[in-house]
Order: sequence, then C-alpha cells, then structure tokens
Amino acid sequence: MSSHAISASVTAHPGDSSTATVATKALRLGLAGLVVTALGLLVSGAAKVAMAYLVGITFWTAITIGMMLLVLIHHIVDASWSAVIRRQFEHGLAAFKWLAVLFVPLVLASIFYQKDLIWPWMDSAHLIHGGHSVGHDPLYVKKSGFLNTTAFMIGTFGSFLLWMWVSARLRKASFSQDLDGDLRWTFMNRKTAAFGLPIAAFSLTAIAIFWVKSLEYHWFSTMYGVWFFANCIRGALAVGILLMIWLWNRGDYKGILNTNHFYSIGMLAFAFTVFWAYITFSQYFLIWNANVPEETFWYNLRELNHDGSTNQWWYVGLVILFGHFFVPFFYLLSYKHKVVHSKVKPIMIWILAIILVDLCYNILPALKDDHGDSLPFLSFHLLWVITSVAGVGGIWFWAYLTSFPQTKLIPIRDPRIGESLTYHE
Amino acid sequence: MAANSYGLIATFETVPELYHAAEQVRDAGYRNWDCITPFPVHGLDKAMGLKRSIVPRISLAGGITGFITGMSMIWWTGAVDYTLIVGGKPLFSPMFAFPVSYELTILFTAFATILGMFFVNGLPMHYHPVLKYDQIRRGMDDTFFIVIEASDPRFNLANTKSLLAKAGGKAITELEP
Repeated sequence: MSSHAISASVTAHPGDSSTATVATKALRLGLAGLVVTALGLLVSGAAKVAMAYLVGITFWTAITIGMMLLVLIHHIVDASWSAVIRRQFEHGLAAFKWLAVLFVPLVLASIFYQKDLIWPWMDSAHLIHGGHSVGHDPLYVKKSGFLNTTAFMIGTFGSFLLWMWVSARLRKASFSQDLDGDLRWTFMNRKTAAFGLPIAAFSLTAIAIFWVKSLEYHWFSTMYGVWFFANCIRGALAVGILLMIWLWNRGDYKGILNTNHFYSIGMLAFAFTVFWAYITFSQYFLIWNANVPEETFWYNLRELNHDGSTNQWWYVGLVILFGHFFVPFFYLLSYKHKVVHSKVKPIMIWILAIILVDLCYNILPALKDDHGDSLPFLSFHLLWVITSVAGVGGIWFWAYLTSFPQTKLIPIRDPRIGESLTYHE
Repeated sequence: MAANSYGLIATFETVPELYHAAEQVRDAGYRNWDCITPFPVHGLDKAMGLKRSIVPRISLAGGITGFITGMSMIWWTGAVDYTLIVGGKPLFSPMFAFPVSYELTILFTAFATILGMFFVNGLPMHYHPVLKYDQIRRGMDDTFFIVIEASDPRFNLANTKSLLAKAGGKAITELEP
C-alpha cells in the first residue's frame, strides 16, 4: 500500500508548466467565446442570445453539479475504486463560483433590461396566448408562490452558495488529507455527503424548474428534476472519462489507472444512459397517455406548427431518442468500448454533444414567432449556443486547470487509495 | 496408459508459483486445462489466457428476444386478434407497448444470463475425475493445482509431465478417468 502511495506522489506533478499553458488557452477561449456571444446581441437581438447563453451556462452547471454528486456518492457509499478519479471531480467543483458570476448577466437583463426577456412569468404584464396578461392568468396566479422573481433569486444564488459551500468542504477535507493523512477528513467528507446529497437533490430540482422548465410555466411534469439529474451525472461522467484519457495521454495517470477503472466508470456511464432513457420516456409516456392539454402542449410545440405541419423540433426529438439512448446504449454494451481509450473517447464526446442538443430541445423552443410556433432549431442563432458553450466552457476548464496544480493528482493519503490503485473488477 | 488417464495434476504451494506455471502452460499452447485454487486469484484469467465469457452475448440475444416478444405480443393482441379502442388510443403504438417490452427485455435477459452461464460453465456437475485424487481437498484449503486433460491435442504424457515439472509443479500425478 505505502509503496503505491509513494510511487503515486512521485508522478503527481509531471506537467505543471503545460497545465499553466493549457489554462491560459482555456481562459482565452472562454473570454473570446463570451465576447463573441456579447457581440451576438447586436446581430440577433437580446432574446435569442440570452436563450442561447442560458443553454451554455445550464450545460456547464449541470456537469459541475454532476461532479459534485459523484464525489458525494463516492463518500456516502465509502467507494474505493473511484478514489484515484475523485480528485479530478474535486478540481471541477472550483468552477461553481465562476458559473455563479456568469449567471449574473441573465439576472441583470431580466431585472433591468426587459423583465420577460427569458422567463415570461417575470413580467406580470407579459401577454400570453389569448390576449390575457401573465398577472391575470390563473395558472400563473396559482403558481406565483414559487414562480416569482424573489424566489428565483433565492433559488438560483442560494443554490450556488450551497454548492460552493458543499464543494469547499469536500475540497478542503480531501486536500488537507494529502498533507496529514488524518482520518477525520474522511469522516468529515462522509458527513458532508450525508447532508450534501439531499441539498444537491433539492437545489438541482429547483434550478431545473426555475431556469428551464419555467420557460413554459403552464407546463406540469414531476419528472423534470430527475431528467436534469440524469443529464448532470451523464455529463460529469463523460467529462470525467475525457479528463482521465487526457491525463493518461499526458503521462500523469500512467501506472495509476488500469483497465478496471475505465470499465467501472464506463459501466456507470452505461447505467445512467438507461436511467436517462427511463426518465425521459416516462415523462413523455405519462403525458402521451393522459393526453391533458396543459401537458401535451409542451410536446406539441416540439412537434407541430400551428397549421399542423411537422416542425424541425420533431426531428431533433428523434435525434435525441436515438442519439441520447440507442447509440450510447448499444455502443457501451461492449466491454472493449468501455476500456479501450480510443473507443470510449468518441462516445463520450458524442454524449456531451447530445446533452447539449437535449438542453437546446428543452430551452430554445420557448422562442416563438408571431403564430406561437417555436423558432426552428437550425438557424443562424445556433452560433450563439456554440459560442456560449465555448465561452462558459473555457472559463470552466480554466477554473479546473488553475485548481489542478494546487494539490496532488490523486488523494495519496486517502484510506482507500491502496484498494483503488490495485482495483480489480 | 495415457489414453486411459483423465490427465495430469500438479501441486503448487503458493499463488506466484501457480500464476507463473499457468503462464507457461498457456504459452505452451494447451487448451483443455484448468487451475484449482481455494480462493479467487486476481489476474489468473489473464495468466491462463482465458478470453472473456460469451455469456454477455447470450444475454443480449435474450434481451432482444424479450423486447420483440413484448412488442409483437401487444401488437398482435391489440391490433390483430381482438381490436378494441381503449382510451381513444391507436390500436397499436410502441408507446404503450414499451413498458411491457421493457420488462420482458429485463426478464428474458435475466433468464438468458442465468441459463447461459450454466450452459457455458457446465454446472451443476456432480462428478469430476479430479475428485478421485486423494489430495484434492487441499485445493479448498491451502494448496493450488493445475490439471491438464489428456483430451488436449498437445497432451503427451512425458512432455506434459516435464512441462509441469519445469513450471515448478510438485507431486505430478496421473488422474483416473
């Protein structure tokens, strides 16, 4: 056990200079993405760019929440195999404070620029279908105890603060243990996990409802938080596997990771593929079966125009059905596709791309034309989704990479580290 | 005598001895042979040159069969054999057939996996020639064995014996059929 820990510490910092170089590149990419997105305001107008930016920030927030959940789950079940991977997720948690900062423009725009710019219910004078205003809409009035700007602010920034606090505790305990090897840090992490998991569950559900679901505040779906949770975990696993491969290729993880680590995390990615499908299908199926207009309109918007013709979102839905479930499901059934780096890498990039499409499917149809039809998926405005994802993503990786050199590559004094290094399926 | 024996059994005292002997037997190209250990030895499958099991493929076949069974059962009963409109829904839709098909996918996968495993590993097996070997019980306690069967195409009493001896095997014994 100790010999493993020593050999691990020797290889802990092989590439500090290149980490710094990559961090600078990520920061440049991030700033460039944000600047181009901001320039998009002049080209496409505030509403479209704001919606695209919401996709970008939701994407990276989901991934970071997923990483927090994976660390919490690691501690609550006292897992051993994932100890060598956990540290990368802990570095990812450094991004929360920047995501909170990056969310501020959306809030400021909604308060000072145009109240119904993104979330129509924020403006009680916003006119809805049929000529009524939101303030006179019974469905809004009944929901206004939850759907109001104050609750939105508390939900959003309260969640960010909670995530930052839970992350700070997880990171402090894990990093401190590297120095003194004290077991109390492990117990502290276990306690954090015990109250952190319900906090994460409630806050991510609140976020999913406030940020995404309330774009169509008439809608009802009890599956929505779980749908978001599934995407959080799938995104975090995909980024985690890509980071493992990147650090392996760079040399950091050579001699530390073995086939079984890739197999186990690949199995989790496979399991959550099925979980995502179960949740997403259940949501669709229950609404399809009950056939209540308050619920079906959400899918109708994503299938048909007002004249009954099929719109682009119908095909996007099919792409999600096949691309988010069938492709990764059948691909990841194979053992080789989970453990051979060159085979697992493309499917993880694919999963990240399709999560992005899934978020587009949930967010972008809120933009409508004069007939109340959703604006098509394929348009010039998709560019702002890409620049937003690159912008927020660049900042995300910069936060990860500046946290990376602060500590060892793996938690070398974790009581489970020996088990993790010699992990066998 | 070789034709009349089941094969050769050799004793090993420690895991590393067994592990390296297994590598030598693997590299000599034997196929019908096995290791007997009191506990699972990590990595022994690799040292023995064992390929991954084919059971997952049987599971997949079972799963696909289950899914098709569910879909076609509901299609046939609802849209062909006894057409009845329920709840204003179409006579057949993969939507409402899906939960049942999904359950049958899991059920048939489980059946295929369990049955496939028994089919592939040959269990339950009430008799095996190594049971006649008087030291075999130590294989459940503190000793490791390698058994090379006479049915192996490369089996040759003298050569196999010398291979096992060279690999560090002790008490090399012929097994009765």
